[in-house]
Amino acid sequence: MNLEIPIGLLYSTTGTYKAMGCEALDGALLGLHEVNNDPTIPVSFIPTIENPDASIENYRRMCEKMLRQQNCKHVVGTITSISRKEVVPIIEKHDALLWYCCPYEGFECCENVIYLGASPNQQVIPLFRYLIPRYGRRGYFLGSNYIWGWEQNRIGRELLHACGGETLGERYLAFDDVDTEHLIAEIREKRPDFIFNNLVGTSSYAFYKAYARAGETDSFFKPENCPIVSCNLIESELPMLGTDAGIGHISTASYFDTLKTPASLEFRQKVANKYGANRNVSSYMVTGYSSVKILAAAIVEAGNGDVEHIRQVLFDMSFDSPLGNLKIDARTNHASLHPIIAEISERRDFRIRSYAEEAVSADPYLVDFDPVKFADSVNSLRVAPSPVKVVK
Amino acid sequence: MILHQMDENIARLSRQLERLGIVVSVDWPVLETPVADAKFIFFDGDKTCDGIFPWPAGEAPVPLVALLGSEAPGRLEWVQQQGISAHMLKPIQSSGIFSTLFLAQSNFEISKQVQQNINSLTDRIAKRPFVLHAILEIMKRCKLEEEAAFSILRSAAMNRQKTIEDFCASLDDGAIARLVRAFEKQKNTRVG
Repeated sequence: MNLEIPIGLLYSTTGTYKAMGCEALDGALLGLHEVNNDPTIPVSFIPTIENPDASIENYRRMCEKMLRQQNCKHVVGTITSISRKEVVPIIEKHDALLWYCCPYEGFECCENVIYLGASPNQQVIPLFRYLIPRYGRRGYFLGSNYIWGWEQNRIGRELLHACGGETLGERYLAFDDVDTEHLIAEIREKRPDFIFNNLVGTSSYAFYKAYARAGETDSFFKPENCPIVSCNLIESELPMLGTDAGIGHISTASYFDTLKTPASLEFRQKVANKYGANRNVSSYMVTGYSSVKILAAAIVEAGNGDVEHIRQVLFDMSFDSPLGNLKIDARTNHASLHPIIAEISERRDFRIRSYAEEAVSADPYLVDFDPVKFADSVNSLRVAPSPVKVVK
Repeated sequence: MILHQMDENIARLSRQLERLGIVVSVDWPVLETPVADAKFIFFDGDKTCDGIFPWPAGEAPVPLVALLGSEAPGRLEWVQQQGISAHMLKPIQSSGIFSTLFLAQSNFEISKQVQQNINSLTDRIAKRPFVLHAILEIMKRCKLEEEAAFSILRSAAMNRQKTIEDFCASLDDGAIARLVRAFEKQKNTRVG
C-alpha cells in the first residue's frame, strides 16, 4: 500500500539568503523525487512548496497554511534562526515536525524540531581544536551584526580564554556592508594568529578580497601565517570570493562536496544527473536531501506519518547518508554529525584536512563541554606554528 | 526540584531540564526532596498555599520559579509574596526554559546582594548615634573641630578594619580616654 504524505517545503529562494535556500530546497526536491519514484519505498510525498522571500510575515502565514489547509505534519525548511523561531510556535500548536537543516548557534531544543544542521560543538569547537595547536591562541573575530555572529564569537571567545588565549579584536558589520579596509588596518596593527570570520554574504566576500589585496604587499596576510576561518562558507560561494582570494583559508562544515566516501560520490552523481554536471553540492543541499530521505524511512518503519509514531521509531534508527552514518539523538532531537575541517584549494574547492570518523553527538546547550579538558587537549596537541603545506 | 502534580507540562519541563544537564525531582503535594539539594525550585502557582514551603514567605534559600496557569490577582499576589525570581506560563513549552533559569538565577543573586546591602546600611544607620556621641566627646576633650574629631575616629576604625559605626559602638569611656591620650601624645611629639 502506498502512503500519501503531505509535506511542506518552506525555503526562501529569493531574498538575502537565497543561495542557501535554493541549495536546501534543491536537496529536498531531489530526495522527494527519489522517494516518489522508488517502487520499493511505499511512500509518496505530496509537496507544498512556498517561497517566503525572506519575509518573517510570509513564513508565519505560509507555514500556517501548510499545516491547516494542506494537512502537512512535516515541514522541511527555514534557514535563519529568526525564521525558525517564527514558525516553531505554529509547528508546536499543530504538533507537527519541522526538519531544520542548517548549522546554527545552538541553545535550542524544541521537541517539534528535528535538527540536522551542526550546533556549536559540531562546528566551532572542532574548528578551534584544530586551529589553536597549529596557529595559536590569539584570535581576531568578525561577524555580521546579528545573533549568529554574536553567539559564534561568544563561544569562540570562551574557547580561547579557556586555554589561556585572547581575542585581539571583535568587530561587527551591518548586512551588505562591504567597507572592510578599517578591519584590515586593525588586523595589520594587532597581528593575530587567525581571523574567525562570521560575516555573511557580500560582507564576507569583500573581506576575503581585501585580505588578499593586503597579502600582496604584506606576507602577514598570507593564509599560512594568519588564516581566515569560517563555519558558514559553502561551495557555491567560493567563486564570489574572487579569483584567488580564498585559497588557503580554512572552513568547517558537516559536509563538503570533496568528501570521497561512497555515499558522497553517489550523491554527487545523483545531483549531476538531476541538476547538471556543473552544479555545486553543499552541506545545505545534503541535509535538505537527507531530511526527506530520513523522514521517508521513518514513515516506512512507523507505517504512517503521524508525528507521535515517527517520534517512536526515529531515534532508534540509523541512516546511511552522504553526511556519513546518522542518528538522531532522542535527548536533543539533533543529528550526530561528522565535522570536517577543510582548506580552500587552488581549484576553488574544499580540500579536506580532517574528517571526524566517529560521529559527534550534538550538545546544543554545551552541557557536556568541559573547558578545562578542552584546554588540556589543545595545549597538549601544540604543533609547529606554521602548518605543513600540502602540495599536490 | 519541581513541586507540581506530574502531568504532560511537568514531563516536558523535566525533559528540557535534563537536556540542560540538570537532575530533576518531582514532588507533590509536599516537598519531600531535601531543599539543601536543590539549585532551583519550580512550583505550581495555581494550587500551592501558605505553609507549603519550610521557610517564611520571601526568604527562599534558592531561586523560586512559579508555574502559572491562572492569572487571577489573588494568585499573583500570593506568588509574588513568595519572592519568586521568575515565572513561566502553562502550557510549558520547550522554548523559554533556559532563559527563565538564567534570569531566575541572576535575579536571585541580585536581590540577595541588594538585601545584604540594605541590611548593612540599616545596621550602620542604627549605630549613627554612637558616632555622634564619640565625635562630641573627642571634640570636647581634645578641643577640636568636628572634622578633625571625625578624622581621628575614622583612622582609628580603619586601623582596626571596622566600619566607623561598629568602632564607635564598641567605644566605652576608657577607650575614648585612650584615643584622647594618643592624640595628645602625637600632638606633643609634633610640637617637640
